[in-house]
Amino acid sequence: MTTAGPSPDRPATGAGRAAPPRPTAAAWARENLFNNRHNSVLTVLLGAGLVVLVIYGARFLFVTGQWEPVRTNLTLLMMGTFPREEQWRIVVQVYLLCASVGLLWGGLTASSRDRARDAGVPFSRARLRDGVRRWWPVFVLLAVLLGMTRTWLPLAFVASALALGVAARRVMEALPEAGRRAAWFGAGVCALAGWQVLSGTGGIAWWWGSALVAAAVVRLTRNVRTDARWQPLARLTLVAGAVAVVWAVYAQLDFGGVGWDDWSGFQLNLVAAAASIVLAFPVGLLAAVGRRSQLPAVRWLSVGYIEVIRGVPLITLLFMGDLFLGFFLPTEDPLSKVTRAIAVMTLFTGAYLAEIVRGGLQAVPRGQVEAAQAIGLSAPRVLSLIVLPQALRAVIPALVGQFINLFKDSTLLSIIALTEILRIRESIHGQREFLIVGIAETLVFVAFAFWALAFTMSRESQRLERRLGVGER
Amino acid sequence: MTKRGTILIAVVAAIALLAAACGDDGDDTTAPQPPPPATEAPAEPAAPEPPPATEAAAPETTEAAEEAVELSQAGGRLAEVQARGSVRCGVRDALPGFNFLTPDGDHEGFDSDFCRVIAAAVLGDAGAVDFVDLATADRFTALQSGEIDVLVRNTTFTASRDGKEAANFVYTTLYDGQGVVVPAATGITDLEGLADANICVAQGTTTELNLTDVMRSRNIPFNPVTFGESSEARVGYTAGQCEAFTSDKSSLAVFKYEIENGGGDEQFILPETISKEPLGPAVLDGDTEWAQVVQWAVMATIQAWEFGLDSGNITSATGDNPALARFLGEEGFDPGIGLPSDFAVQVVSQVGNYEEIYERHLEPLGLPLHGSVNDLWTHGGLMYVPPYR
Repeated sequence: MTTAGPSPDRPATGAGRAAPPRPTAAAWARENLFNNRHNSVLTVLLGAGLVVLVIYGARFLFVTGQWEPVRTNLTLLMMGTFPREEQWRIVVQVYLLCASVGLLWGGLTASSRDRARDAGVPFSRARLRDGVRRWWPVFVLLAVLLGMTRTWLPLAFVASALALGVAARRVMEALPEAGRRAAWFGAGVCALAGWQVLSGTGGIAWWWGSALVAAAVVRLTRNVRTDARWQPLARLTLVAGAVAVVWAVYAQLDFGGVGWDDWSGFQLNLVAAAASIVLAFPVGLLAAVGRRSQLPAVRWLSVGYIEVIRGVPLITLLFMGDLFLGFFLPTEDPLSKVTRAIAVMTLFTGAYLAEIVRGGLQAVPRGQVEAAQAIGLSAPRVLSLIVLPQALRAVIPALVGQFINLFKDSTLLSIIALTEILRIRESIHGQREFLIVGIAETLVFVAFAFWALAFTMSRESQRLERRLGVGER
Repeated sequence: MTKRGTILIAVVAAIALLAAACGDDGDDTTAPQPPPPATEAPAEPAAPEPPPATEAAAPETTEAAEEAVELSQAGGRLAEVQARGSVRCGVRDALPGFNFLTPDGDHEGFDSDFCRVIAAAVLGDAGAVDFVDLATADRFTALQSGEIDVLVRNTTFTASRDGKEAANFVYTTLYDGQGVVVPAATGITDLEGLADANICVAQGTTTELNLTDVMRSRNIPFNPVTFGESSEARVGYTAGQCEAFTSDKSSLAVFKYEIENGGGDEQFILPETISKEPLGPAVLDGDTEWAQVVQWAVMATIQAWEFGLDSGNITSATGDNPALARFLGEEGFDPGIGLPSDFAVQVVSQVGNYEEIYERHLEPLGLPLHGSVNDLWTHGGLMYVPPYR
């Protein structure tokens, strides 16, 4: 409603400026809403429109809305055709994931606490209710879901999972530094174990497990001092040996599982988006750095990749991945539909991220690089210690915006016939009793689920910006 | 300049190498990959032959035998399905009565049951179906690319689909026809009453083409309002975007029932049937063996109905007459279709006969079977299958 009036002075966020005294409501309204005749008319008109909108909206939500199709099909919307007798796998995975996130969160809190202590500055620990306040859209979504189920079991499940996460955080914070180092790996192991309970030992679990073990070996042998000449070779052998053991163990293990090819519903949207976001980041980083490389071949490859992918609509790429990729790959063990879709989304997002990151790289003054070179840093170190931290900090809003886009674009998977949430929604209206019942309501529910998560991502990015002082320093 | 040139050449060479490697891969996947022998039949003639007189003749005979195996399994879809252990069935998850997802995530409907029929016949397990949800527009692409083994998606058998789209339609499971529904309050009783009306219709379907054909031939001007899917067109009509909605009469009956039960306006289905819509499963052209397998699996449900066999009594049935005994596979009768001799028993005991499948899914929607065109030929319907002998 402040569209017409002049915008008031922004409250100062930085130090140095004292906040102006809070005006009374009447004074504020006079200044912002009724400061001249035109604006008063506009305010009244728009205000009336808003009131009508709110009344209609509330009536739809609480009175006329037929939410029965959503309520009956809540499980279907969330996990689609996931075999119901395997649901326990999801439960276990969520517990392990919560533990993992709790450990990570605790570890981050503890290390920044220690840093603050060493620097002698006061440290305020983020509390649980800060988390709830920051993540309120997600908690509203959870509350809506739990309210709709009208049973206690899901509530108990969510509450205990959250409690587990909080407890893991506490434990991590209480650990001494040496113990924390081991617990970092614990977090990785929890996440890995959760993934494997859900999807079995096949697929990317092998790579994940190998990477984790390799990282552990590298970390543990870091301080072992031997003949300097042999050390790299010895460590390489150790890593290779450990990875070989992991593969040997995996080859023996088989405890079932449901791979992501059989996932659907909102679960598929989440997994496809999360996997693509995680994978696209390194791809984009490499392409951005490659585009600025001195080596022409690397530069051309990067430019080619970025410009070809950015010039083609995502829908076209998804269709190509779905229909054509099959002809180029061996037929005995073709990549599944979901894997191909995730690969396409990764490549697509990677190209956009590359341009975003390149913008950040260009924003880093040349003097920074020259200064780093002058003190004798090698090229990779100049990049990783000086350039990238500054470049990435500058582009956080654009990066998160791209991630939010990708998350919403996961609904495009429906056009290559992956049963993500939007397609599940259509199927609900194939059920006899909901043929024409609640068509708007199911759509509103899907929109709300996306909004809750996308808005949280956006809020977190703003918080990150503020913490890193983007736009102020 | 020279340095640049060298690099350019190097890049071109690298790309050429890559392309060559890819080409090799392509060959690898198609040529030297003989499908595992599914049926022993083609190999049999080679086996009982007397051992070759000379050493030199030996390679020739084996080569010939191998060639025979290759030829007989040009399509090889049956072997592929058996090796995979599941039937990939192209369906649509939002067709009331034909296929939709239950709140528990199961597929339910007339179409999905015929997918199960095929799985029960080929693999002996009605549950061995991978359902692939397909949009209207890409159902034939999925068939052509081999992504699905069979399309059971409420698809009308037409000449150009049989020809250009490379689909091979097998036994028609439902004889439907297109109709038009209007709100009863409009008082429209025939197509002429629809002059200048907006008509909601799903795009890229025979429904859309039939409507255009009929209206043009009768010189009735109208505005088609097209939607991507039949389900969306339905919503458009409900929301008042059109004066009429056209679809197969089976869907219209369901739709009318639902609107009226939901307290909506009374609906009227015009008595005219403006097209023939034979709906049935389709497989890809060029694999006769697989087409026959699907054909006979589907026909078994109708033969069982004719014999009076259903899921309740087929396991205890005995072959009093020779025709029944053959159908039950009692004397190990094998017509050489490529199906196990007890396939009919598996189909009917696990899924049911045609009457059961129909009554399970379509009767509750207000579509009676008896007395309709989909009744058994002995009752004046069109369901008539060749003898199993």
